[in-house]
Amino acid sequence: MLSLQHISKYYQNGGNKNFVINDISLDIDEGEFVSIMGPSGSGKSTLLNIIGMLDEPTDGYHYFVNEAVHQLKDKQRSALYKKYIGFVFQAYHLIDELTVYENIETPLIYQDFKGAERKAMVADMLDRFQIVGKKDLFPAQLSGGQQQLVGIARALIAKPKLLLADEPTGNLNSKQGEEIMELFRKLNKEDGVTIIQVTHSEKNAEYGSRIINLLDGRIESSKKF
Amino acid sequence: MIRNYFKIAFRGFWRHKLFTLINVIGLSIGISAALVIYLIVHFDFTFDKFQPDGNRIYRVVTHYSYSGQTGYNSGVCGPLAGAVRSQVTGVEATAPFYMLYQPNVFVPGKGNVPVKFKNEDNVILADQQYFKIFDYKWLAGSVSALNTPNHVVLTSDQAKKYFPALSYDQMIGKIVTYDTIKTAVAGIVETIKQNTDFTFHDFISYSTNAANATIKDQLQLTNWGSTTSQSQLFVKLSAKTNIAHVEKQMTALLNKNFKEEKGNTGGFSLQPLNDLHFNEKYGAFDSEHQANKTTLYGLLIIAAFLLILGCINFVNLTTAQATQRAKEIGIRKTMGSSRKQLVVQFLSETFLITLIAVIISIGLAPIILKLFTDFIPPGIKVSFLAQPHVILFLLALIIVMSLLSGFYPAILLSGYKPVLVLKNQASSNSSKTRNAYLRKSLTVTQFVIAQFFIMATILVSKQIYYAINKDMGFKKDAILIINTPWKDRSTSKRDVFLNKLRSIPQVDQISVGGNTPPSSNNTNSTEATYKDGKKETKIDLQEKFGDENYIKVYNIKLLAGRNLRSTDTSKAFLINANYARLLGFKSPNAAVGKQIDKFNGDKAMQIVGVVADFNQGSLHTPIVPIAILTSTSIYQNGTFHLALKPETADGAEWKKAIAQMGAYYKQVYPEDDFDYQFFDASIKKFYESEQHTSTLLTWATGLSIFISCLGLLGLAIYTTNQRTKEIGVRKVLGASVAQIVTLLSTEVIMLILLAFVIVTPAAWWAMNKWMQSFADRTSISWWIFAASGAGMLILAVFTSGFQTVKAAIANPVKSLRSE
Ligand SMILES: Nc1ncnc2c1ncn2[C@@H]1O[C@H](COP(=O)(O)OP(=O)(O)OP(=O)(O)O)[C@@H](O)[C@H]1O
Ligand SMILES: [Mg+2]
Repeated sequence: MLSLQHISKYYQNGGNKNFVINDISLDIDEGEFVSIMGPSGSGKSTLLNIIGMLDEPTDGYHYFVNEAVHQLKDKQRSALYKKYIGFVFQAYHLIDELTVYENIETPLIYQDFKGAERKAMVADMLDRFQIVGKKDLFPAQLSGGQQQLVGIARALIAKPKLLLADEPTGNLNSKQGEEIMELFRKLNKEDGVTIIQVTHSEKNAEYGSRIINLLDGRIESSKKF
Repeated sequence: MIRNYFKIAFRGFWRHKLFTLINVIGLSIGISAALVIYLIVHFDFTFDKFQPDGNRIYRVVTHYSYSGQTGYNSGVCGPLAGAVRSQVTGVEATAPFYMLYQPNVFVPGKGNVPVKFKNEDNVILADQQYFKIFDYKWLAGSVSALNTPNHVVLTSDQAKKYFPALSYDQMIGKIVTYDTIKTAVAGIVETIKQNTDFTFHDFISYSTNAANATIKDQLQLTNWGSTTSQSQLFVKLSAKTNIAHVEKQMTALLNKNFKEEKGNTGGFSLQPLNDLHFNEKYGAFDSEHQANKTTLYGLLIIAAFLLILGCINFVNLTTAQATQRAKEIGIRKTMGSSRKQLVVQFLSETFLITLIAVIISIGLAPIILKLFTDFIPPGIKVSFLAQPHVILFLLALIIVMSLLSGFYPAILLSGYKPVLVLKNQASSNSSKTRNAYLRKSLTVTQFVIAQFFIMATILVSKQIYYAINKDMGFKKDAILIINTPWKDRSTSKRDVFLNKLRSIPQVDQISVGGNTPPSSNNTNSTEATYKDGKKETKIDLQEKFGDENYIKVYNIKLLAGRNLRSTDTSKAFLINANYARLLGFKSPNAAVGKQIDKFNGDKAMQIVGVVADFNQGSLHTPIVPIAILTSTSIYQNGTFHLALKPETADGAEWKKAIAQMGAYYKQVYPEDDFDYQFFDASIKKFYESEQHTSTLLTWATGLSIFISCLGLLGLAIYTTNQRTKEIGVRKVLGASVAQIVTLLSTEVIMLILLAFVIVTPAAWWAMNKWMQSFADRTSISWWIFAASGAGMLILAVFTSGFQTVKAAIANPVKSLRSE
């Protein structure tokens, strides 16, 4: 599904290059569930953002569904992104001004779905996550776990092939975290969504089919189960 | 998708109520001003635009240079029209007309008692070709009747006034008499409904002059040497005719038929139809309706400035909030929004705000129109708002304003990189400093505009005060001016009235004469030659007519010699010190007794006295040489100058005296209406246009300060909110309230000082330019600048101060705990 080859990213610090990602090569197949681990500052988020095309590497080749991302223009890149990728954040990042319903609906608006179609899709998603009763509330009126559910619902609404999650359970208690992980597993097994998650929790990482350990911007180890 | 944007926009407006309010108020003020000013400008610029082939219609006007003085006259000499018709090429139609001076009109009434309409204006003599050049719709009769003498064509409104009971067809053939001219109605044309300076409503056949000796005498159809503005000439040129060529032919006709004295020249030029409404040199027909292009452009500039100020508030407040919105932007981008979609979203928010402001402005416009009735041409009505061109203008304004205020914030906000936002780095984004820089520049711009208006207002007021209160060399108060009727100038009647006036106890002194010492109209001047041995001094000398009481009524100081006597007529006069100086006399005394050789042709006049200089007009014009002399002509003795005794405490004497004068006037001149003027009021009138400028500037100043301060308040609220935590920490560390207020106010003060430095030279330059129109002017004092700068500073510190102090005295524990 995607392939990174000799990807590096560094920040100029005076005369020094500060490598955040240092020559990483990585292939991920469709249907995989990958967990990225590593100490704070090791470059996990940066790597995930590069995969998600939110950030650009300074060097290297990046292929995604057979497209050479490093050669694409901004517009083509965002079209690609829109079509295939959903993002889940540790800090949920819901739009405060929109209701639960509207937050979930927003990606569909940007993908030019018709009104009736949108309605059906959102209703479906609300149902599936059992938050129908909350649809007219604003994010500030929800608990952290509920907000993250909305965040995931929003990431999945446009049926992405690849779900990227940066510490999705970081702000939740362990029971809420477990529920989210179960959900991910189900998505991966039943719907065939490829998932890449960043996590600090050994236990959550084990939901994945592969664990990648980062250290100082390099892959220290990679285990498949 | 747009609906979604609007929904979000409304929630945003609601959440930031205060900022929304500031934006809407600022924009509404600018848009209201722009709307009203647009109405005025559009009104004045559409005068006579409806005339077919208007670009080929010209008024022939006269310019002359007469003993060194150039002059302009909107009329032409009598024979020109005929000569143009037969001898000038390139002219398609020639329409001479003659404006009768307020004739009394009589139409047949019940039982042979004629109905009288007193002093009708806009009555002209015209011929067929007038209707060939200017477009009228005929409701009855036909133009051909104007060929024969003693016919008249009426406009529909006027016809209804004369014959309210008749249909247009029934009016044909009815008799209308103008003073002594008896005419039959030959046609009715529709009154022009569009904006026009051609407000004539009675058109008497031009050929009537052949049948009426008085008219013939007035038209002077064979005299190439006499020009009056009552006799005007319009031409319509053939297509593609060279204007200069036509002008040359006309001037050649004059030179062929009239030998000017040596040194004098005269000629004709063609004034385009679209210049008629604006050119003060020639005037329209009724000069009150004229518009001044400089004023119109000034108004446009004010509108533009107010609009800019409103836009600046919007840009400032929106970019200040940018970091707050950055999160939303980042999330939207990760959900697949393109930059373009975000720009559209932000622009639609701006559009909405502007739309609200426009709706408010439409509501405000009638109120403004009412408030400014003095400045607004009477033709502009509230119903103007419903016209298509106004709606188009408003649409254009909405679009331009939305783009102007929304474009930069939209580009800025939509440019945020999602990663930075999601990592909470938006505030350390490098564009933030650029933002703050732009915000400061815009704020400085606001202060520059506001301070410019303050400075201009102070200066204009200062000059007006100076002009009105300056010692002009004569007494101004407690003087009443009464004119004898223009149409009834008989010496005997005047003397009867004079004796009656004298009998009124409140009247102190009366002088009978011509113009008041300073007069805006009808200055007579003539060339005078003084011979001192071999040396000849030729100087243009202004004439003021008055009797021996003239200088007493006005307290004009006699420097040397004696006052006038009634026996001095045609033999002796008073001159002013300025003339004495120009003739080379060392002291006023030296001039007394000397003789001016060639005065008014070849009369010899003796200087019997010299008076101190006084202003002969407004302070726009300098003091020039003048002679005060008596005359026996009724035309130079038709004005009474009355000095009144001071009023006592209860202050009713003058009122009583004036009522008495009115009663006497009616006894002597039963046909005419009594009219009087206080001299000091007429002097204030000299500065009417400056007073208008001053009022407009005061409004512009008030509004621009208001808008700028609103913006400042918004920014102050925003910054103090942003810095709540910093303020809390500083206070915990021991900062005093005063130190915190200083910390927060320094920036505002610096910005105002910067604006002050920028605006001062520009304002100085503009003021200097404006003052050039005054021959006698007040100084551009340093305190004008100092006062405006200080005033702005105090206002601004006060505006932001409230917010600042509130933040400074807040309990730090609260702001820190929430973190
Ligand atoms: N704009 C920047 N300039 C310089 N260095 C940066 C910048 N952004 C990130 N870094 C550095 O990149 C490194 C990796 O950051 P990243 O956010 O990927 O770490 P992470 O592994 O996700 O850590 P955490 O577990 O704490 O989220 C950090 O050391 C950080 O200091
Ligand atoms: Mg991270």
